[in-house]
Amino acid sequence: MVSTSVKRSKSFLVDEYIARLEKGDALLDDSPQNLVEVVGILKSYGVVLDAYSINLCYIANTQFLKLFPFFKYFNGEVNSNKIAKFIWHDRINYEYAEYCMKSMFWHGGGGLDAYLDTPEFAAETENLIKAYFKYNPLMLGLHKIFPDFLPEQMRQMAYYSGLGQFWRVMSDIFIDLSDSYDRGEIKCIPDVVKFILDGLVADATRPITYTVKVGDQEYNILPESAGLTFLADTAVPYVEAIFFRGTPFTGTVSYNAQAYEIPYDPGMFNYGALYADPLPIGGAGIPPTLLMQDMRHFLPDYLHQLYRENSIRGEGDLRVQICESFQKSMFCVTTAAVQGLAPHSLDTNDAEELTANRKYLRGWLNRIIQSQVIKVNSNTDV
Amino acid sequence: MLSALIIIPLVSAVIIGLTPLKEKNTRNLAIVTSVTILAINIALSWQFDFRQEGFQFAQNITWIEWIGLDYHLGIDGLSFPLVLLNSLLTLVAIVATNPTTQRPRLYYSMLFLLSAGAAGAFLAQDLLLFFLFYELEIVPLYFLIAIWGGPKRGYAAMKFLLYTALSGILVLASFLGLVWVTGETTFDYSVLRSHVLPLSTQLWLLVPLLIGIFIKIPIFPFHTWLPDAHVQASTPISVLLAGVLLKLGTYALLRFGVGLFLEGWVYLAPWLAILAGISALYGASCAIAQTDMKKVVAYSSIAHMAYILLAVTATTRLSMTAAVFQMVSHGLISAFLFLLVGMVYNKTGSRDVNYLRGLLNPERGLPVTGGLMILGVMASSGLPGMVGFISEFLVFRGSFPIFPIPTLMCLVGTGLTAVYFLLVINKVFFGRLTESLTQIPPVQWKEHAPAFVLLLLIIAFGVKPDWVIHWSEVQAIALLTGG
Repeated sequence: MVSTSVKRSKSFLVDEYIARLEKGDALLDDSPQNLVEVVGILKSYGVVLDAYSINLCYIANTQFLKLFPFFKYFNGEVNSNKIAKFIWHDRINYEYAEYCMKSMFWHGGGGLDAYLDTPEFAAETENLIKAYFKYNPLMLGLHKIFPDFLPEQMRQMAYYSGLGQFWRVMSDIFIDLSDSYDRGEIKCIPDVVKFILDGLVADATRPITYTVKVGDQEYNILPESAGLTFLADTAVPYVEAIFFRGTPFTGTVSYNAQAYEIPYDPGMFNYGALYADPLPIGGAGIPPTLLMQDMRHFLPDYLHQLYRENSIRGEGDLRVQICESFQKSMFCVTTAAVQGLAPHSLDTNDAEELTANRKYLRGWLNRIIQSQVIKVNSNTDV
Repeated sequence: MLSALIIIPLVSAVIIGLTPLKEKNTRNLAIVTSVTILAINIALSWQFDFRQEGFQFAQNITWIEWIGLDYHLGIDGLSFPLVLLNSLLTLVAIVATNPTTQRPRLYYSMLFLLSAGAAGAFLAQDLLLFFLFYELEIVPLYFLIAIWGGPKRGYAAMKFLLYTALSGILVLASFLGLVWVTGETTFDYSVLRSHVLPLSTQLWLLVPLLIGIFIKIPIFPFHTWLPDAHVQASTPISVLLAGVLLKLGTYALLRFGVGLFLEGWVYLAPWLAILAGISALYGASCAIAQTDMKKVVAYSSIAHMAYILLAVTATTRLSMTAAVFQMVSHGLISAFLFLLVGMVYNKTGSRDVNYLRGLLNPERGLPVTGGLMILGVMASSGLPGMVGFISEFLVFRGSFPIFPIPTLMCLVGTGLTAVYFLLVINKVFFGRLTESLTQIPPVQWKEHAPAFVLLLLIIAFGVKPDWVIHWSEVQAIALLTGG
């Protein structure tokens, strides 16, 4: 007898996931294994984000306008021991943090991106440059000839700082989540989503500011008056740039812009973490292999044990398993973001609010359904 | 000492077959025996004088006088590399055998019989003795395919048996004819070689001999048994089949075809050279069309064995040396490739190039196997730095002045080698790992050990080819000069 698999249309799947979200479930299926994987990987992710955050803020605060920041990954601690460790590559892959920053910078969006085009930002940056290179006529001369170069460096620094501050908050949320799980307070995937959502909401209006010092003079590159906040101006652009759009690195597919393989509209990119194939053939872009390498050093014991038991390869395919768990966790974070940004509470009974919510959710899910979510839940064909 | 190379495997075959040993002990005994044989071979190489023409370590015992059969063994520069190859590949085949193979005692017993038959054939200096050993290896190989082979093992084994038996009959007919026309009462090689026969007589005797040998090598259009035999045989048997047993044919070509009927050989050489070119192109073209990895390597074998025929037809000093070198080269490379294809099949359950994908995946694929496969493909394609380049270069360099067109045909065949192997590599090892293969078991380093040993030799002989050439150069040239 010929067996057939059930194929469901895209719109059917979108409706199914809308119903899940309205019910209070997450994009990720709720199961004991998923819970262990998500909490465990977010713990290690939290530790890594802590390191990334510190370094990004260090670079933004001290390495701005430095043309050759050779020791930017050292966080101010340069000694032979640390240099040896760096050369041996016994360190965190801070480069990955920079890739995320550049991706976020390139895609832009949100208030941070908008503020960088304002005359206030331009003026403050100009003052900073003049002060920084006060005794360097060569640089001042070059700045006159190429007036956009140094301000562009400061625009990047703004993103370094913004992302660093965003990850500061997220790192704390993820580590607190793990502690909460250890105390037995987190029992299912919806609990994880709620915890993350509560964390995001608590810091939603946290101001994002960036101030540097030259001598005794402070320069408010991102002042409080700009009104930039954590959720709207860093979290949302980050989710958009890193989870969804990403960048078309070589990986499982080779992208050829000249052959029109890459969409004209960056808004149509789908190379982000939610779309990444966990089985790379050695590419450094998709999936975030550098991040996986960092996270494997900070896995909780229970997760490490699970990986050893789950795989026929033992620890041979640890990074793939880490990537799969990481994707699962990112679907939880995405769920929290989607819930948090919904126009109305998702469990509303009001017809008008329900319609507005559904319109909102459909917009998200039309994109999410093309990600790895189906495969991660691995029960249906698209 | 030479008898040890035959008697030890024969006795081991009997002991292993009849003694109620446990599985693990059977395998260990087989490994110890094959290591012993290899050690004897290596000891021989220290004592062998490569600068000397003719046979060394000769043993001659009258056996069955009334039919002219003598137990006459000897080794020279032509047979020495092949005997060494036989003992090496026997060890590789034993180590590559699955430790949990069914009926291990019968298996290893048959394997040693096969090895003994091949060794005997290479060492025999009596035509009838050669024929005996030539036939001896048919029986164990039939069983090895028929019992431990793939789904169509019965068909493949029977086809192999029929083809090779016919080959034996034709070879025997030629030998009997030779003894009859010379009026001798012995089948001794040196005695028969001393006769100078008229060209027409040589041709009458040479043609059936060649057909018999071409079945064995195999050369188009007598090749059809080989792809089936290779595909159905298990990996270790494929290693021996490609690495050693096909060389029986080319060895017989040199030893008896050229050695006994030189004038007739030179007369037929132009046609045989064209046949070599056709066989090379045919093998390469068929390889391109295959979807079974093992069949690709099998057809590749047909193409590469044709280069040996080309070299021998040219009958120059360089080409004769090249022929022997190509035998060693092909023996190592084809064995290497079959080992790796067997590894892929063992782990994934498939050899279908349309199904397998992305096996180079470092986390869940077979990255080391894939890397070795790429090296093997490079070696087979004749990339510099490996033994394949040297052997093919010598073959073409030695043959081109005599038969330029067939040489060019074979050169095209070499180019096509890269085509079909790269097609396989690209499909099977690159791209995204097939979804259903994301949980394949990893390969242990000891499973790769035989392949690494062969790779070492492939590179070593590619970098220092004179280690092999100086074994056989003197004798290969002596075949042309009547030495």
